[in-house]
Amino acid sequence: MEQLILASGACDPANEIICKPDNVVDLFLYEDNLLSIGPWGITRTVFLILLAMVIVLALLFFGLRKRRMNPSKYGISIESLMLFVRDEIAVGIIGPEGVKYYPWLLSLFLFVLVGNLFEVTPLINFPITARMAIAGGLSLLTWVIFVFVGFKKNGFGYVGALIWPTTVPVALRPLVGLIEFISTFFLRPLTLAVRLFANMAAGHLMLTLLLVSGWVFISSFSEIGLRALIGVPWFVFGLGIYVFEIIVAVLQAYIITLLSAVYVDSSIHIEH
Amino acid sequence: MEELSGAVAVMGYGLAAIGPGIGIGLVVAAAISAMARQPEAAGMVRTTMFLGIAFTEALALIGFVLFFIA
Repeated sequence: MEQLILASGACDPANEIICKPDNVVDLFLYEDNLLSIGPWGITRTVFLILLAMVIVLALLFFGLRKRRMNPSKYGISIESLMLFVRDEIAVGIIGPEGVKYYPWLLSLFLFVLVGNLFEVTPLINFPITARMAIAGGLSLLTWVIFVFVGFKKNGFGYVGALIWPTTVPVALRPLVGLIEFISTFFLRPLTLAVRLFANMAAGHLMLTLLLVSGWVFISSFSEIGLRALIGVPWFVFGLGIYVFEIIVAVLQAYIITLLSAVYVDSSIHIEH
Repeated sequence: MEELSGAVAVMGYGLAAIGPGIGIGLVVAAAISAMARQPEAAGMVRTTMFLGIAFTEALALIGFVLFFIA
């Protein structure tokens, strides 16, 4: 096996305890352009972003194309997915005025869901949300929206209620206010992005590690004989993780949408 | 501290995973007992449980990211 997957080429297993490439990001980096139009190059990641966008639009378009009294099974499933986001997340968390934020929450949910499920799609096997640029961009959008909504609904009382909370004793207000300020404006977008990114990156690493190393062992049966059987439990374990990753992909799409709704809700109703 | 090199980042991640592990256990245990006592409130409890898990899990995930950065 010439090409090492996770260990860097210059790694000496006798001295180094962990062999990892200088930059793990290399696993998620595709720098070769598939095609380039003028100054813009379409790499694999960009292509997958556009593909996810097309898939989301196609899902909604074909699901809602015909409005009839007896919709098809496909139409019902798309509609129940949309109703889930509207009733459980938008209205369930924010309240009746949450319907205003429903289009954004639905696009966020579907895009992240499709992006996450790329991880377990055969022949793609690369979650685009495992790139910090995409997770960070989405959480930055959430940040802009909840800060804007906070200022629009409550004026400067939004920041005032954060840094001078009237529900705690006076002596503690500066401390609690500082913590609240930092956690709202800096830690919220950071953890929102890191949660999605780290879950997807960890899943991608685990699948790569288990499935590929198991396969490398099994496929070298002719060279190392019966010892190749050690790859079998790894491969089986990798398949178990594969099922687990499907659950994680759906759950993380749900959680990022839920937290976005919670953040918007806390900007609208600042009293708690 | 010279001899402490190599796998320090892994140990850091292990330490970072202790707290969230206990925390997620507490969150889920409380959610299960709430659902068992009041099954009709299960939907609401489940949403809140995922929120609690998400907030608790963030610490472990930051540790995981630090493992790559370090």
